[in-house]
Amino acid sequence: MSQSEMDRLVQMINQIAINNISAGDENAVAEMIAGHVQKFWSRRMKQMLGEYVEQGGEELHPAAKLAAQKLSAQAA
Amino acid sequence: MLQHFDPNKDYGTPASLSEKLVTLEIDGVEISVPEGTSVMRAAALADINIPKLCATDNLESFGSCRICAVQIEGRRGTPASCTTPAEAGMKVTTQNEKLAKLRRNIMELYISDHPLDCLTCPANGDCELQDMAGAVGLREVRYGFDGENHLDAPKDTSNPYFTFDASKCIVCSRCVRACSEVQGTFALTIDGRGFDSKVAAGQDEDFLDSECVSCGACVQACPTATLMENSVIEMGQPEHSVVTTCAYCGVGCSFKADMKGDQVVRMTPYKGGEANHGHSCVKGRFAFGYATHKDRIRAPMIRDSIDQPWKEVSWEEAIGFAARRLKEIQAEHGRESIGGITSSRCTNEETYLVQKLIRAGFGNNNTDTCARVCHSPTGYGLKQTLGESAGTQTFDSVMQSDCVLVIGANPTDAHPVFGSLMRRRLREGASLIVADPRHIDLLDTPHLNDSMHLPLRPGTNVALVNALAHVVVTEGLEDKEFIAKRCEGDAYSKWRDFISDERHSPEHMEAVTGVAAADIRQAARTYATAGNAAIYYGLGVTEHSQGSTMVMGIANLALATGNIGREGVGVNPLRGQNNVQGSCDMGSFPHELPGYQHVADPVARGRFEAVWGVEIDHEPGLRIPNMFDAAIAGQFRAMYVQGEDIAQSDPNTQHVEQALRALDCLIVQDIFLNETAKFAHVLLPGSTFLEKNGTFTNAERRINRVRKVMPPIAGKEDWEVTVELSNALGYPMDYSHPSEIMDEIASLTPSFKNVSYEKLEQEGSLQWPCNDEHPVGSPIMHVENFPIGDGKAHFAITEFVATTERSSRRYPLLLTTGRILSQYNVGAQTRRTDNQAWHDEDILEVHPYDAEERGIKDGDWLGISSRAGHTVLRALVSERMQPGVVYTTFHHPHSGANVITTDNSDWATNCPEYKVTAVQVEKVTQPSEWQKNFHDNHERQQSFLKEAAAAAAEAQ
Repeated sequence: MSQSEMDRLVQMINQIAINNISAGDENAVAEMIAGHVQKFWSRRMKQMLGEYVEQGGEELHPAAKLAAQKLSAQAA
Repeated sequence: MLQHFDPNKDYGTPASLSEKLVTLEIDGVEISVPEGTSVMRAAALADINIPKLCATDNLESFGSCRICAVQIEGRRGTPASCTTPAEAGMKVTTQNEKLAKLRRNIMELYISDHPLDCLTCPANGDCELQDMAGAVGLREVRYGFDGENHLDAPKDTSNPYFTFDASKCIVCSRCVRACSEVQGTFALTIDGRGFDSKVAAGQDEDFLDSECVSCGACVQACPTATLMENSVIEMGQPEHSVVTTCAYCGVGCSFKADMKGDQVVRMTPYKGGEANHGHSCVKGRFAFGYATHKDRIRAPMIRDSIDQPWKEVSWEEAIGFAARRLKEIQAEHGRESIGGITSSRCTNEETYLVQKLIRAGFGNNNTDTCARVCHSPTGYGLKQTLGESAGTQTFDSVMQSDCVLVIGANPTDAHPVFGSLMRRRLREGASLIVADPRHIDLLDTPHLNDSMHLPLRPGTNVALVNALAHVVVTEGLEDKEFIAKRCEGDAYSKWRDFISDERHSPEHMEAVTGVAAADIRQAARTYATAGNAAIYYGLGVTEHSQGSTMVMGIANLALATGNIGREGVGVNPLRGQNNVQGSCDMGSFPHELPGYQHVADPVARGRFEAVWGVEIDHEPGLRIPNMFDAAIAGQFRAMYVQGEDIAQSDPNTQHVEQALRALDCLIVQDIFLNETAKFAHVLLPGSTFLEKNGTFTNAERRINRVRKVMPPIAGKEDWEVTVELSNALGYPMDYSHPSEIMDEIASLTPSFKNVSYEKLEQEGSLQWPCNDEHPVGSPIMHVENFPIGDGKAHFAITEFVATTERSSRRYPLLLTTGRILSQYNVGAQTRRTDNQAWHDEDILEVHPYDAEERGIKDGDWLGISSRAGHTVLRALVSERMQPGVVYTTFHHPHSGANVITTDNSDWATNCPEYKVTAVQVEKVTQPSEWQKNFHDNHERQQSFLKEAAAAAAEAQ
């Protein structure tokens, strides 16, 4: 995994979170983000996100982190 | 084609749209016509052809030549049939001795001041004056030819495409009226009076120096050889014509390719074309010479490394080489290590085949298209709100609009034929609101009635549209009945609460947008109360970090005011390239099969799997920017690019170049060695729209036929190349004509179910959805319900989030980019035509305030730096933008406009934020490092091409 590629994915998912912050509470925003990622991201991008959140996901927006965890749980 | 009129016949005056019929008698023939029809047109409809010179049916009647005089029972004199409305019970005589004498006398006067060089005249065989002289039986000119005349009037050859020969002018004013009524530029006038009357361009300037936009309407209107295409002067009259569709811009104009054998003599706008009704712009009308330009790639080429010369090979060897490399890479790096890009310049059928090859032949969904970098937010935003990824209207719908709101679009430059139609409606009195950081030409429309400009700061679209919607909701301007009946209730309630909040008020947003609150309130009131209000938008909406949010905000505004589902209203994305709509429809995006059917939908996927005979991956593939990142990371190794130039058109050029260099195999199929092809290992010659059969779909969802008028220069149409590549990869494709591909598309795409070439021949064109419910297509969408949820539109929450690309001490200015009339997209086509006469370099427009602060004058070389890169352009001091905003175009590759644009992108679709880049500008004396490297690489790659041609010639 390249750092710049992962940086881009973190930037992308955080941007999704910020743009949907009015969708409801953190759980609702996370649901929205997870749905978007599920629908539009490639298999490998999702896998990279899963690995990143497993390692702590430090740079993720809280709602994006919750979304990543939901996606990981679904995939498991 | 099914036409309600013969598009090849000139009926003399325009059709009346009245539903009331009047019955009259012309030369003893009874005929019923709509009230308001002229006697001339009524006669023509009965196949009675009254002689005419100043009349033509795309211009209002003028009544100046008098040659169309008739006699009407019970009336005195000989009225002009073009200006006399047909009335019930009228009895008209068009031919008798008195009329014949009158017409001969008039014609005699015309001919007494006309060169008698018919046999050597370029209009010989296509001259209405000659025809009318024949029709009236002119046999002598009693006045002689020695009197005062205009026979020595000079020619104006300043325009590269047509010549103005004043000696042949009969001052019928058709050119002047075409420029005013059809084009709306008002560049031409009749200067002087009486015998001294003459056609003048601008302030009696050369055509090239005047405001003339070279649309060709005057040339089309001229009944003599006064205004004549240079190509006809050089080649003579065409001997046959083929109706086809223009390959420039999303208007999708129909043209007659006027041919001599397999040579195009001229492109004449086709009156039967539903998108353009016989009008054209400088690109479609004249800029077709690129098709036979010396730079065309005429043979397939391969090389192992991009630092090696090309080697010309047979099609078989090139296809075999490409297939072998793709297989080897997949064997070593996995199924998902390769992908491809479809083209918005190619046909629907070709685009469909490329994504099919990727999904079925490559076995993954790594397919994307250039709509990624232009209108992908339209697809997302309209699907979320209205349920369909497409504009809602026909172009003609604008003629029913009372208010036109143009956001982030420049129709007179980027969609000129529609821009002219819009101007016609504005002259009739519709209100105009333009929301754009730049003062666009539409605001300078002659005879404009009510107009306002909202010059917002780049990057604040959502703040503006939210403020407009806030006014609508808080001032009680909503269409409550429409909302209750047509929109989903819960989503509306949530949106209403959201948008009513004071933080969205114009007063609160004034500091963000830079637009006065009072202006926003006035604009909202005008839009909401106009009656029929339509929104037209372009890349100034989509190419932002909130592009998708803005599209949804636009849909919200239209829904809240009930401006959806009928003529004159709607949400109208103006698509950039000719087949952006089609390439999206055809399943180019990595998450969607044709017809916007998600790859995860097992039912839709199952249908494709059954026909294609393979299993399709249920996970989306990579988008273009993700392909680049993955390539740099070493995970993505090969790419098949048909008809796109990602190295020039995509943002952050240095990042794109790094990604392209990282590929083990890049296969480019194009008509020229474009910027992307300089990084390629396989170069497959492409075919222009003149060399193939297929269909394009324009911005109004209109599917139009593209017809082959000449053989492909390298022997194959683009779809044939994809078929051969697929077969070489082991995934069999077997089509003998694009019509078979369309049949397959129709069988798998619900919105195309009833589309076929046979039906296109019958109807001329079809607007999707075209299915059992709408057997001949759907001009206006969402008339009864929305294809979403339970049929009700969905209001979306559109929170404004400022872009991270902001001006700073280091980069204090905001750069925004756009288009110009004479050039098209990356310029690969138009730069290889005489359109260069108007725009041979990209320049940077700087506001006088910013220019003065930096000591900048017109023509200075300016270094432009952003966090992504540095380039150098020449300066033009201009007040079109607000202070703090600079502007350029990206039509010339050596400009490096995209060296400075960043990889910021739309949150939902990754559409790049071309419209906002923080920059600094300063005077410099030399090109940038990137430009020097570009120049060196360009020279090297051109020499590789020449070496290949020389080696091939030697081998023969």
